Amino acid sequence: MNDSTLSPVLSARTSSQHAWLEVRDISKHYGGVYALDGVSLAIRRGFVHGLIGANGAGKSTLVRCLAGVVSPDSGEVFIEGKPVVIADPHDASGLGLAFIHQEVSLVPGFDVFRNMTLGIAPQTRLGVIDWRSLRRRAEGVRTRLAMRFPLSADIDDLSTADQWLVLIGRALMRDAVLIAMDEPTASLSAVEVERVHSVVRDLVANDVAVIYVSHRLDEVVELCDDITVFRDGKVVSRATRGEVTKPDLVRAIVGRDVVEAQIPESQLHGRVVLDVKGVSDKKLLRNVSLSVHEGEVLGLAGLVGAGRTELAKIIYGESHATAGEVRLNGKKTHFREPADAAAAGIGFVPEERRSEAVFADRSIAFNITISSLAASVVSRWLPLLRPRHARIRASKFAKEVTVNTADMRQLIGSLSGGNQQKAVIARWLARSTSLLILDEPSRGVDVGARFEIHRVIRELAAKGTAILAISSDVEELVGLCDRVIVMVEGRVHAELKGSEITTERMIALSFTRKDERQ
Amino acid sequence: MTTQNVPTEDVEGSDRRHRIWKNSSGSRQGLVLLSKYGTLVAMAVMLIVFGVFVPNGAFFTSENLINIVNQSSLTAIIASGLTIVLVVGEFDLSIGYVASLAGVLVTGLIVRQGLPLFLAAFITLLIGGGIGAVNGIVVTKARVNAVVATLGIGTVVVGLSFGYTAGSPIVAVPKSFPHLALGKIAGLPNPIWLMAFILGLLWVVLNRTPLGQRIQAVGGNRDAARLAGIRTDRTKISAFVIAGLCAALTGIMLASLLGSGTVSAADSYLMDSFAAVFLGSATLRDGEFHIVGTLIGVLIVNVGFNGLSQLGTPTFWQYIFKGGILVAAVALSTIARRYARR
Repeated sequence: MNDSTLSPVLSARTSSQHAWLEVRDISKHYGGVYALDGVSLAIRRGFVHGLIGANGAGKSTLVRCLAGVVSPDSGEVFIEGKPVVIADPHDASGLGLAFIHQEVSLVPGFDVFRNMTLGIAPQTRLGVIDWRSLRRRAEGVRTRLAMRFPLSADIDDLSTADQWLVLIGRALMRDAVLIAMDEPTASLSAVEVERVHSVVRDLVANDVAVIYVSHRLDEVVELCDDITVFRDGKVVSRATRGEVTKPDLVRAIVGRDVVEAQIPESQLHGRVVLDVKGVSDKKLLRNVSLSVHEGEVLGLAGLVGAGRTELAKIIYGESHATAGEVRLNGKKTHFREPADAAAAGIGFVPEERRSEAVFADRSIAFNITISSLAASVVSRWLPLLRPRHARIRASKFAKEVTVNTADMRQLIGSLSGGNQQKAVIARWLARSTSLLILDEPSRGVDVGARFEIHRVIRELAAKGTAILAISSDVEELVGLCDRVIVMVEGRVHAELKGSEITTERMIALSFTRKDERQ
Repeated sequence: MTTQNVPTEDVEGSDRRHRIWKNSSGSRQGLVLLSKYGTLVAMAVMLIVFGVFVPNGAFFTSENLINIVNQSSLTAIIASGLTIVLVVGEFDLSIGYVASLAGVLVTGLIVRQGLPLFLAAFITLLIGGGIGAVNGIVVTKARVNAVVATLGIGTVVVGLSFGYTAGSPIVAVPKSFPHLALGKIAGLPNPIWLMAFILGLLWVVLNRTPLGQRIQAVGGNRDAARLAGIRTDRTKISAFVIAGLCAALTGIMLASLLGSGTVSAADSYLMDSFAAVFLGSATLRDGEFHIVGTLIGVLIVNVGFNGLSQLGTPTFWQYIFKGGILVAAVALSTIARRYARR
């Protein structure tokens, strides 16, 4: 493994200079937002092609189009010059494309061999699976990838890096020509990262094409032969190895025409409402400390996977820390479930509106009042709901957040995403909260709704509520927050205040690597 | 359960559906009506057919109609408890066995321990609710799949019944006990009054109390409910307790009706309840479990039974009818709903 060279043997790259796979003018939009806007790209065999960009820039959508998971609105894909149709993941696999998504694709409890051969079933003449030849091939792949564990090892016993290797093995079992990897090194140690890199170099030396999606710009500069930068669904920059430096890439990702939004005036803040001290969890978070004051909006910036949602869920009692403590209004918290946190005065607006926030086949009134039903009962001793009272309350809070409908009995599923989100926020206005956590408060909502949501958040803060706002959209944080904490790889990396809060700063800080920080 | 999760298929099938139902809002309307009122139409058709063909007009006598409702009432009570568990998104296969245990327990406490009727009934209800709580705790805290957990606990309950009775029925109950189920108030049999009270109570609990709203929220979207600050485990356990109480009540009434406590006397209520609840979920609302639907489901089955036997149909037809109408009604409403959406 380790003897694979930095500059692979050129003679191995038979079909090198022209594209093996070509994407022409692909577009995909969701509502009015273009996830991909006329993207063209050429992937060569025997080269590593890096795709980079901020969260939501379009690189993942492109990979998903190639995987047959997303179907583009327009555009074409060519393989060896011939147009191909990728309607579903099965098509993609048949064309020699493999996609490595760690969490979703391994079967826990299966051994390495069965995970590697998942879905491959060569048959003997009798129609029985030919396990012997399959096992021979798997042994070959194992040797080729220098796996340091037997095929009979249980997949759950392997390290993250070794599990990744098994997925590469699966791709090779299927004779994949192109392997796309999404953030392969996101949660690996420095030694493991080096191993991943050497495997990638070895793959391209053997004429495989690799698509490498990563947020770690240093490794992209070091590892990738071709680099494509995405911003707002478009390709904004292309480069080949040696042409670019990391600062060039940061500039390309951010864009030069960043609009400076107005900075909200920084007030004198009251007492500390939320105090997080040295919190770590099993997987990602390491020694996180932060505090939010009365009437303050604290933003949490960072890349997807930086640990922001994980932190929020620990504060809200949805998951538990392995070390450290969380204090609310000076008192140490021991939440066993979110209901305890809610009872203590914390509100939570989850990231996934459909699956974690909304009761789609229920009325707007139901959705707004579900967390504050006690306010509409006849008395404590006769817990009968007064439906009209509940509807009037719902209607009052719906008006405060400008939900665009008068009839509270309407199904919430019939509202637009923005109005649904407002209703979820109204749910927490309907009970008194000293801390409101919002995870991606304006994701997938239109500009108008976004403006209203920001206004509601600022008003809540003005009334003394402490706000913790997580957003992957840095421009959102600029206009909204008094203070921003940038998280990188499970740690608090930097804190910005007032005029320091700019999109460039937040992005540049988000892209910092762990080892650069010391 | 299955009936609630249809929308996931929508994406795939939407094209085809579009082609078939393009510019045919008339037939689409018809399908919506069919999916919601199909079971009611079936009921009406049955009433008409039986009214016409049962000899001497014996079907539409007040005596016969009261009889039908009376026969429905015990099933309706146990089935409405099951409805609550299904609304919360779980399953309870132990209710029939719990009802059987309640039957032998209440008679045994009266005959052997010499307890007064109301104390015996109270203790029996307590035990029924307790078994429900155990079901709920095993399902939520130990995270055992509800089908497995309640089947296992149900089997344990069968064992308890046999252990308590040593296999032979408990007879020689005092005269006051059968009166519980055979007596009348204002001309209507007691079970009808009891059913009206329990179903009314459960309707109020489900639709007009915070607990009921939480039960609906947990059943609708468990993750959202938890993140909205609802104690989902506690809510589920409450639902199981309600089901256990209803099962025990049905068991007590059945023992009173039979005048004895017999092991496995009430076992068949399990299947009858499920049939009724799923029939009911196809009524009025889109595959949602609800109390009124459950009542209608029970009534349909019993109207069919009553009419068929009065027509002199052999008994085996009644089972074919029960199974057939259940599958037909749920299938029809599911298919109609799928085509009617958008």
